[in-house]
Amino acid sequence: MTKKSIREKMYVPEIPQKEIEKLRNSIKLSSKKAIADHIQRMKKTSANRPKTMKYFDEIADLFGQREKELRAAKEEGKKVIGYLCTFAPIELILAADAIPVRVSSGWYDASKLGDRIVPVEVCPIIRSTIGAKMIDLSPYMELSDAIISPLTCDGMTKLSEILSDYKQIWTMSFPRVKDTPSSLSSWTEEVKNMKERIEEFTGNKITGKKLRSAIELMQRATGAFRRLQDLRKGPPVIMGRDAMLVTQTSTWDDIKRWTEKTEALCDELEKKVREKSWACPQDTSRILITGTPMIWPDNWKLPALIEEASPQGVIVADELCSGDRLLNDPVGVDEWTMDDMLTAISERYLMASTCPCFTSEDGNEDRINWLLTKIKDFKINGVIYYVVRGCMLYAMEYTRVKRALESMDIPIYYLDTEYTREDVGQLKTRVEAFLEMLSARIDF
Amino acid sequence: MTVSTLITAGIDMGTQSVKVVILKEGKIISRNQAFSGFNPKETAEKALTDALENANVPRTTINHITATGSGVEMAPNSDSTISMMGADAKAGVYLIPSARTIIDVGAEEARGVKCDSKGRMLNFVVNERCAAGAGAFIEAMARALEVELDEMGPLSLKAERASPINASCVIFGESDVVSLIHRQESKPEIARAIFDAMADRVSSMVHRLGISPDVVLIGGVAKDVGFVASLNRTLGLEVLVPENPEYTGALGAALVANKRAGDTKN
Amino acid sequence: MLTCIQGETKMYETLAEILRGTVTIGLVLAGLLAILIWIKDKSTRISYLRVFVQVVFTVLIFIGLVIGPFGLPQVPPVGNAPRDVLIGGSGFLTRVPDGISIPVLACYYPSGRTVTCALWQIQAYIFPFWDPGAGFTFDVSYINTGVQRLAVVFSVIIVMSIVLGRFFCGWICPFGLYMDLMTRLRKIFKKRYLKLSDRTNTGLRQLRYIIIAVVLILSVILGSEAIFGTQLVQGTERGGYVYSYFSAPYCQVCPMRPLCVLVLTGIGSMDAEYVLSTTTGAFYEAGYYLTSLNLIILGLVTFGALAFRRFWCRICPLGALIGLFNRFPPFKWFSAIRLNKVEEKCTKCGICKRVCPPQIIEVYEEKGGDVTTSACILCLRCVEMCPYEDCLSLDLAGKPVFKSRDWLKEAD
Repeated sequence: MTKKSIREKMYVPEIPQKEIEKLRNSIKLSSKKAIADHIQRMKKTSANRPKTMKYFDEIADLFGQREKELRAAKEEGKKVIGYLCTFAPIELILAADAIPVRVSSGWYDASKLGDRIVPVEVCPIIRSTIGAKMIDLSPYMELSDAIISPLTCDGMTKLSEILSDYKQIWTMSFPRVKDTPSSLSSWTEEVKNMKERIEEFTGNKITGKKLRSAIELMQRATGAFRRLQDLRKGPPVIMGRDAMLVTQTSTWDDIKRWTEKTEALCDELEKKVREKSWACPQDTSRILITGTPMIWPDNWKLPALIEEASPQGVIVADELCSGDRLLNDPVGVDEWTMDDMLTAISERYLMASTCPCFTSEDGNEDRINWLLTKIKDFKINGVIYYVVRGCMLYAMEYTRVKRALESMDIPIYYLDTEYTREDVGQLKTRVEAFLEMLSARIDF
Repeated sequence: MTVSTLITAGIDMGTQSVKVVILKEGKIISRNQAFSGFNPKETAEKALTDALENANVPRTTINHITATGSGVEMAPNSDSTISMMGADAKAGVYLIPSARTIIDVGAEEARGVKCDSKGRMLNFVVNERCAAGAGAFIEAMARALEVELDEMGPLSLKAERASPINASCVIFGESDVVSLIHRQESKPEIARAIFDAMADRVSSMVHRLGISPDVVLIGGVAKDVGFVASLNRTLGLEVLVPENPEYTGALGAALVANKRAGDTKN
Repeated sequence: MLTCIQGETKMYETLAEILRGTVTIGLVLAGLLAILIWIKDKSTRISYLRVFVQVVFTVLIFIGLVIGPFGLPQVPPVGNAPRDVLIGGSGFLTRVPDGISIPVLACYYPSGRTVTCALWQIQAYIFPFWDPGAGFTFDVSYINTGVQRLAVVFSVIIVMSIVLGRFFCGWICPFGLYMDLMTRLRKIFKKRYLKLSDRTNTGLRQLRYIIIAVVLILSVILGSEAIFGTQLVQGTERGGYVYSYFSAPYCQVCPMRPLCVLVLTGIGSMDAEYVLSTTTGAFYEAGYYLTSLNLIILGLVTFGALAFRRFWCRICPLGALIGLFNRFPPFKWFSAIRLNKVEEKCTKCGICKRVCPPQIIEVYEEKGGDVTTSACILCLRCVEMCPYEDCLSLDLAGKPVFKSRDWLKEAD
């Protein structure tokens, strides 16, 4: 274990080992059931679900194959580096022969444990991540030797402090304005420091050659992801939940294998397009989800509601940092020098991002533009703006987004929820009313 | 157009009561209401049977039943369903053709719906999962003031000034009322404070939606003159209330049933 | 250094051999390098198309320069040149003995001229060739006045720059190719380029206009006798000192002139002995072909180009001239080549800003629509590197001909 664990705990209360184990076992069990249940429901929704989804169903089991692989890799001396936010430069981790995994938590039950440390007003993703760590629930978090935490929103900022009670946390100070030269240079500096940290920690030097191949690896992943996206632009050939799961598995799967499997999925989908075998009727309302990240396995209720509702909707795109934002932007390198590669990496994470943690005079216009483009490209009928309570940044930006979309005559609906299963009934009423409204717009 | 007469039914499975409306060729021939109780399914079945008896129509002649309301899954033998907001919009415009914003305040929920001249829903809002903006709040407060529910409205109209209370939650609202009682405020003033607080919540919800006239108020609470007066004051306009506002949801469902039955026939 | 003593022929010959050898080796290496890079990295196609076009145009321009009708300073004359076929008659309303002016640094001085640097012509027609009559060399004689010739020059470059804009800079200019070769040379050493601050860079853009203004004013002052009848500066009379040596003030500092001379001498189409014998080493004294100032500036610019991409192009007065015509609203609407940006497709990832050789920020910063600026050399590197489909495009007469594509697909 790292030195950090010896340090006196600042936030976390001592919990008896017995209680930890009891809680872990019960939540793990219910989570396994939830995973199986979600996959079962996904299979049921689409009669002709792609066969290649089988791989992703398996890798989606957080307590399954991938956990074993990570353990085996660690025994071989490899390091696992976790990250909490999509701003962590994955290319650097890969270039140092370490394994990147995202460790943000989607467990509903764990968020209740987080309540012991932080008030309920705090974003449930943060509470759940704390809770999951308290009972050692997440295998990826447990296997991480260090965790990169870019300080984007307020929740992330304090979360990294709380997690320091357990783990080696590497924070990356993050600019809130992206268009000034100083913010880019300070962020580039952070990225360069992170490179040195990773090198020191893993003992592997990040050479230009290694970094280049890591960048190219991620570019190929982006290529595969974009191919899947292009397929979703046409008539629905894959249900949104399936595609969302595919995208999200990239945060813990071996990225090379993930790319291959995604390409295989795209091949199958292309065949389906040729055969005109659609996942759901072609006139199903096409939905875009934007807002707070939706993290597998528990926080899958909204996509499930949308795609199982009557009238049905199909999610063809999202603007979530747990979804389409993960792999959308490639690192574009001009000259393959170390310096230029690092600048390109830092630019890709900072400049291309549409996170609402940025502020600007023109009102985070990048996000609006990206949404408008997506709405056009994916022929979106309606947008669901999804926020978990406590997620200030997304909640506050709603009005701005709403105005922009209204000018395009795209209906948008604000849905706020919690890390809880109890409000499914209420959500269902709203989602169905919204979908009804959309189908009426299509009908008349 | 159609040869045989078209008889359709709409069932509104509300949180407190079940409402049924029967239409014949698009005209209301019967309506009925029953307290939901512990077994809403049975209640609904009974309400439907009673309504049919009143209208003297045999069950078998019904072409289409559409259900709506929060307990829509429990509706008996419905052919289709429609969301509450969809039903509100449909019926609101049917009853008052100039309606463009419809506010539905029920027992435990308040909703705002924006619609076009054809009764199609354009946008909607729902109150934040708390009964403070809905009928249950008045009920709880009436208990605290020891007056009958029906008396609350007329009572509040006698008030001379407004005293503010917190209506973020039924429980906190009640403790506010208790403190007003302790301050020896008169009953009419407290009653008005209650309606004002409620109207405040409903109006801020509707403002989020955007108000386009005419504004129509429906749902059980629309019958309460005190609330209507308070809402008029906070919104700064005259809201229209149709006859039998509590049946609007069921009527909307019945109208949808009428259209759907017509569609399948033609 | 060297002095103009006719007797030291041997020394000249040795020097000439060295010069020739160096340049030849340099050219061969540059060619090999270009081929190697192309083989290694085929995905960035437009860049290599551009190098190809640049090389082709450079060769064509140099051939035009080499096979002149005058053969000067080569004896005997080489014979019929392409220019004789092209512009030998009076097709352009008037004879153009100095070649068609094009807005690139294709130097007048070395030899025959099919196409010539417009800037030299502008200077020379204000001063010293204001009146019709003989030029520097005995077989060039002007039948038109300077005003008429200037009118031709200006109309040609205005039309060219309106229609094609600074496309010339990115795709045709031989000196631009030289800048690009320096960049490639730097890449071999795996050194990163330096960046000027945005402020300095925009400052340099203004400097270009000052340079061109100074050049024009100087030309008018020097040519005052021809134009106004009075000498403002002594020695500007025909055959005078200034007349002989400083007739084109800008050319005395231009980095392209020595490069041209070196290359042509290197490949053997200019007589090294002649070049050297007409060159003085003294800083203040000008030679017919080279001045030491020329060489110093070439050296500086070469170093500059090794550190900064397209260093010269940021201050090039000729580029400024094109930019000026290309930018003014009445001309803007006619221009055929434009860089266009679709705002919604842009996520502001910053790649276009970073990869731009002259460090232009407008493509990144402007909202959308026409993003061409007077500093843009239309090299299309931004369009090529933009990872969002159809976000940036090159519009030819309003129609997009080259759009940004998802280059990830091509990488497979």
